[in-house]
Amino acid sequence: MKSVVTEPLDGEFERTTQATLVDLLDRALDKGLVINADIIISVAGVPLIGINLRAALAGMETMLKYGVMQAWDEETRAWETEHRKKKISPELV
Amino acid sequence: MANGLYLYCLAEGNEKINFGNMGVDENKVYTIAYQDLCAIVHDSPITFYKSENDKIVTKWIIAHQKTIDAAWQRFGTILPLGFSTIIKGEEGIEAKENLKRWIHDDYENLKQKLTKVKGKAEYGIQIFWFPKLVGERLIENDSEINKLNEEIKSKSRGLAYMYKQKLEKLLRKKIEEKATSCFKDFYDRIKKCVDEIKVERTKKPVVDKQMLLNFSCLLPKENIKILSRELIKIDHLEEFSVRFTGPWAPYSFV
Repeated sequence: MKSVVTEPLDGEFERTTQATLVDLLDRALDKGLVINADIIISVAGVPLIGINLRAALAGMETMLKYGVMQAWDEETRAWETEHRKKKISPELV
Repeated sequence: MANGLYLYCLAEGNEKINFGNMGVDENKVYTIAYQDLCAIVHDSPITFYKSENDKIVTKWIIAHQKTIDAAWQRFGTILPLGFSTIIKGEEGIEAKENLKRWIHDDYENLKQKLTKVKGKAEYGIQIFWFPKLVGERLIENDSEINKLNEEIKSKSRGLAYMYKQKLEKLLRKKIEEKATSCFKDFYDRIKKCVDEIKVERTKKPVVDKQMLLNFSCLLPKENIKILSRELIKIDHLEEFSVRFTGPWAPYSFV
């Protein structure tokens, strides 16, 4: 059972242009340039922030409740639903 | 008292730019130049940005990201910093002087890193699979599993129970083997399309799908079509689904 081709093979893979808060937290809280100097205070390695937030975001259902990302949310859900339909063959539904 | 500097990123260029009040907590964002580089900052007290209120934290982190993106767009090549990195001043020394001293001391290293990420962006690639479907396909197509499955049919109830356990164990092993081989295959295929690849921790499974791999990749923006082609091929495989985010400032490669 093969799925319907939705993207042309020479085009760009559909990108989640506005990423989720989870993607953002993974980067903004855990990554970035590290400065090894005593002139810096940073939260790197200090679990002060985002802990509750991450717990709340652990499930994809709760991924985006915040206004800024509302548009993305709806778009992605639609995409996700479409995508899942495409992936599951009729005999399994 | 604002005697610290909240540092968003370091950029190639030394233009004096005022980004307006777009920073964390609506602070005014501006540049401090040192030679041919500059830091994008806001004046901040020497303290962590922390709050019990998730909404506030979220707003801050989004402001952090938006500021970095604005600087990225303006300067072209940047090294982003993590949320709430504050340069402090000391007695008799302004934070600004400390910042410049750091850029001076670390200059070669910073230049090297900027060169590495020049013209490139980071992208997130996550590949999911549907374990139930994978299992069903294995039962259909794997000869070893098929043989065992056939044998069960001719066994008595007691024996069939034992055989069923054996079958489950075999199936689990086959699924694990398939996960490993798919991971390696996808890794190799994606690696060919990007400059650098970083394997990230996968997230917990959700309902019917499981994250098989989670990569951060660094690549020249013009190579995105080559990568796209590979991702489309993978996404078209029945048991897999690809999620692709970006471009991100090169958080994972600095």
